[in-house]
This record gives sequence, C-alpha cells and structure tokens, in this order.
Amino acid sequence: MSFEETVLDIMRQAFEIDEISTDVSQKNCSKWDSLHHLTLASELEEHFDIELEPEEIAEMTDFSRVVAMLKSKL
Amino acid sequence: MKTFVFRNQTIEPFLGSDGMTYSGYDDISLVPDDVDRYIWFYQVPVNADSVQLSEEVSSFVDKLDLVLNRAEASKPFVIFSLVNLFPLRLTGDETAVADAVAAFNRHAMQLSIERSNVKWVDFSEFTSRYDASTLVNWKFYLMSQMMLNPKLANDFQGWWKHLDEEMALSRKKCLVLDLDNTLWGGVLGEDGIDGIKLGGDYPGKAYSYWQQSLLQLSRNGVILTVCSKNNEADVVEAWEKNPHMILRGEHFSALRINWRDKATNLRELADELNIGLDSMVFLDDNPSERELVKQMLPEVTVPDFPDKPYQLMPFFKQLVERYFRIYRVTEEDRAKTQQYRANAMRQAEMGRFADMESYLYSLDMQLEIIPADEHNLPRIAQMTQKTNQFNLTTKRYTEVEVKQRLEDGWHIYCMSVSDRFGDNGITGTIFLEPVDDITVHIDTLLLSCRILGKGIEEAFVKTVLNLLRLDGYRHVTAAYLPTAKNGQTADFYDRMGMTCIATEIDGTKRYDLALDHVYEIHNYYNIRVL
Repeated sequence: MSFEETVLDIMRQAFEIDEISTDVSQKNCSKWDSLHHLTLASELEEHFDIELEPEEIAEMTDFSRVVAMLKSKL
Repeated sequence: MKTFVFRNQTIEPFLGSDGMTYSGYDDISLVPDDVDRYIWFYQVPVNADSVQLSEEVSSFVDKLDLVLNRAEASKPFVIFSLVNLFPLRLTGDETAVADAVAAFNRHAMQLSIERSNVKWVDFSEFTSRYDASTLVNWKFYLMSQMMLNPKLANDFQGWWKHLDEEMALSRKKCLVLDLDNTLWGGVLGEDGIDGIKLGGDYPGKAYSYWQQSLLQLSRNGVILTVCSKNNEADVVEAWEKNPHMILRGEHFSALRINWRDKATNLRELADELNIGLDSMVFLDDNPSERELVKQMLPEVTVPDFPDKPYQLMPFFKQLVERYFRIYRVTEEDRAKTQQYRANAMRQAEMGRFADMESYLYSLDMQLEIIPADEHNLPRIAQMTQKTNQFNLTTKRYTEVEVKQRLEDGWHIYCMSVSDRFGDNGITGTIFLEPVDDITVHIDTLLLSCRILGKGIEEAFVKTVLNLLRLDGYRHVTAAYLPTAKNGQTADFYDRMGMTCIATEIDGTKRYDLALDHVYEIHNYYNIRVL
C-alpha cells in the first residue's frame, strides 16, 4: 500500500465510513466532525509514532493537508 | 440494544457509537424512556481546589439518584465506578477528593445490592493496568473534553465487551454434581475406596484441584449437591475413609444418590432447596445422562464435561466466569466500606467542634501497641510493602524477612487504632534494631495514611521511646530517606525533638536522640501496651 493509500485507509476507519477518496475534506464529509477528527489525530499519532501539536491537528482540514502534515513530520 | 449514556466528558471513542446516545456534558435533565438500558460513566474533573472538587464529586451522588429514580426500574442501569485519573494533592494528607470518590463508589455499590437492575462496574479494573501518564492525554483532554487517553480506546472496548457479555448472563445458584469420573477418576463401585483416582499423581491430582476449587465455590455461596447412580452407603464410606477426599458429605446441601433417573432427582433437589430449575447447573461425564436432562428439563444448564482430567481447571474457570461470578462486594470490601463510612462521619463531626482539641477528645481514640507475633506478622510485612506516604525509610520486607529480624533480636511493634466511629485495625509499625546495650536504631517507621491528621504518629513514637527507656536504652538513632511520596515525613523527627546530625546529598537526614526523660503524651489517646 502506498503512503497515500495508508493514510486514506486510516481516515476511512477513523471516520467509520466504507468509501473514501482523496478529495475528502471536513466540508464534504459529514462524518468528519470534531470527534472523529480527534480519533483521526490519535490514530495517525499511533500509526506513524509521531506527536501532533493541537495547532497542527487543527490545520488538517482535508486529505492533502493531512498528507502534507505527515510528510513534514516523517 | 439502545443505550443512553450519562457522562460529563467525551467518552464516545470508548463506548462507541453503535446503539449509543450520549447526554450533554454533566446534563441530567433528560432521562429518555425509549432506550433499553442506561449507563452512568462519569470522570473526576480536574480542579486544583480540592474542597470545590470534592463537593462537585459529592454532587454526583445526588445526580445519580435523581437519574436512577426517573429511569425505568425494569431496565438495566450500569454504573461505572469513579476513578480519579489525575489525583492532584497539594499536601500529603489531603483526602477530601479521595473520600468523595470513595463515597460515590460506596453509594453505587450499595445501589447495585439494593436494586436488581443496577450493575456496578469497577472501572479501576481497567485503569489499574496503566500508569498515570498513559491514562491521561492532556493534549486531547484540552482539545476535546476527553481525559482518558484515546489511544486506550481499543483496549477499553475489549475489556468492556467481555464484561458486558458476562453481565448479560444470568447467575446460577446451584451446582449438581455426578460422582464417578466427575468428582474423582474411576468408578467407586468397581475400583473401591482406595482404587478411585484422587490425590497423588496425575490423574488423581487433577481431581484434587477440581474438588478444592469446588469447595471454594461453595464457600462463596454456591450450593453444591450430588446426583449420582451409586449405593449411598458406599459413597458415605468413601467420604469417610479416602484420605484424599476434599469434598465430603457436609459440603453438600442435598444428596440424590440412588438408581432412579436423574431428571426426577433434579426436580426433587430443586423442590428440596426451594430454588428454580433454571438456577441449576448439571455436571456429568456421561453424555447420555446430560442428554436426558437436556431433553427432560430444558431449564437446567448442562455444559459439556471435559474428556480429560487435565482440562478440569480451565473448565472450572469457565464455569465461574459464565455462571457463578458474583457481582457483589466481598466481605473485605464491606469492611472497607464500613471504614469509609466511619471516615465520612468523622469528617462531619469535625465541622461541629469549635476547635481541634475538643474534636480529638471527642473521638475517644484507642491505641494498642502490640509486639510483633505470628498473628500480626503478615500484616506488618504487608504494610512495609504498601505504605508510601507516612514511611520514613520505605524499606520493603517480606514476612520471612520480618521474622528473621525478630529472631535477630530486633524490637518490632505494631499499632492498632480505633475510635468511636470504628476500628481501623493495625495501621502502624516500628522496627528497632539494637546497636549496642544502650543504643537502638529506628530502621522502619510507618503509619497508614487513613489514621493521620490526629497526632497519632507522635503518640505512637513517644510511647515506644518510653518503652525503650524502661528496657534500659539511652540512645536512639534514626534516618529519613526521601522518596517521591514521603515528603510529609521529612521533618517528622525534627518535630519529635531529635537532633539532625547530618544531611546527605540525596536528602537523607540522620538523627540522634538521648533518651533522658519520659515523654508526656496527651490524654486524647487511650494507650494500651500489650
């Protein structure tokens, strides 16, 4: 699985949805609420063994921003 | 199943979203009736003001009662015990929050005894697996009102699912046991009293463990009965004469040892004991007997019996977990509950007195100073293992080690404390190592924190010093070894009038004292030296 696919899969599970695509964002995905956002942050920290600052978590509003944030950390 | 959850923090990642509806944070205004079950899962909030926080925690009791009285009594109501995930104590003897948490838990436990629909879940069973820094994730707490670390969500779900399943199973009251190849190996009528397999090597050993475990089950309130095709006289003789027999006649509440069919016998047993067939579990190695009971009496639970004797212990564990695990407090918990209740009464009492002195007088404190002996040795060793706060040297001893030191001539005393609100039992100890004819060294001095705040520690040490002087000692040495937890005792020996002769780099303080006078002890304390 590519890096992007891995991230997408983590997001899909965190949001408890069946289908997800790379254009997913907080605006177009109703399950991506504040609670699931934190689940996502927690899962990403766990999976990539990183620490995300609250400000960084707040910036991750769509798929490309999530990927960019992770790349800056890894 | 639809469940409504009362909560004061974010806990959705833990209990999940499937069938769950959550109250607002600390919002008890809505008690919906279109659900199948309720869960109460509160967390202890964070507040450095311990008085305020303890009042808030105390208010949970009233809130819980309000909710419970509005919920339908026929629907399950699960209460998670409170665990203080971030205990913040500015002084070592601060117990207001811990007392309030204990009071809530005691109340919830009591509700689970009084009301059949209320189940009490010991949340500390889960939290005790983790250290404090793992339990709380401050980042997520401050971002989301979720104190419990979301990374523990998976573990929590596993733990909770298992517990939830166990709670759904109904508890059984009575175990009906076959004898041959069930309680022992072999057939009594053929192999004879000494020929049956019990005790000694395998497979007899397996049946010994099995019988011993069943005996414990009966001591915990499970009714044991026998239903066996045998001659009753033979069985009675085996109970009397086989030296390896652990379960004997007196352990069984009723017997059906005869050649009639087992379904009839089971019906009679149920009548005799006045219990329902649905509270019986029938154990028999013979599949055709099991089948007969299953067919004739479908209310009776009939588990498969293990083929091999070495499978008996895992089978026993399964029996306990599935049918007999009792969701009730133990006697020890009851004793603790009593102590907590007494503590709460003491607190209330304190408010009524004008000053500390008249309060201490009113307590009618009884201190018993007891030399170590075989009866209190286990408790003394246990205290050295568990006491952290009022512990001058924090040396940990096993029972054997304490015994060894007694044999080496050390003076070891313990103290039992009671007052008019209750008996705290043995809650302090002191170990004195003779250095020479007139000198003794205080190796260990500790008191359980639940008796602190009443000057008992000083009365205890002064009494012991007076005893030492009577024994001819004239000189005492002592040390304070600092730990992360015993800061409150750092100047205890200074307060006792000892001279600090050295302070080492690690904070260790060494003390000296000339035993040149009798210590006066305040008469709040009624002291008896045994």
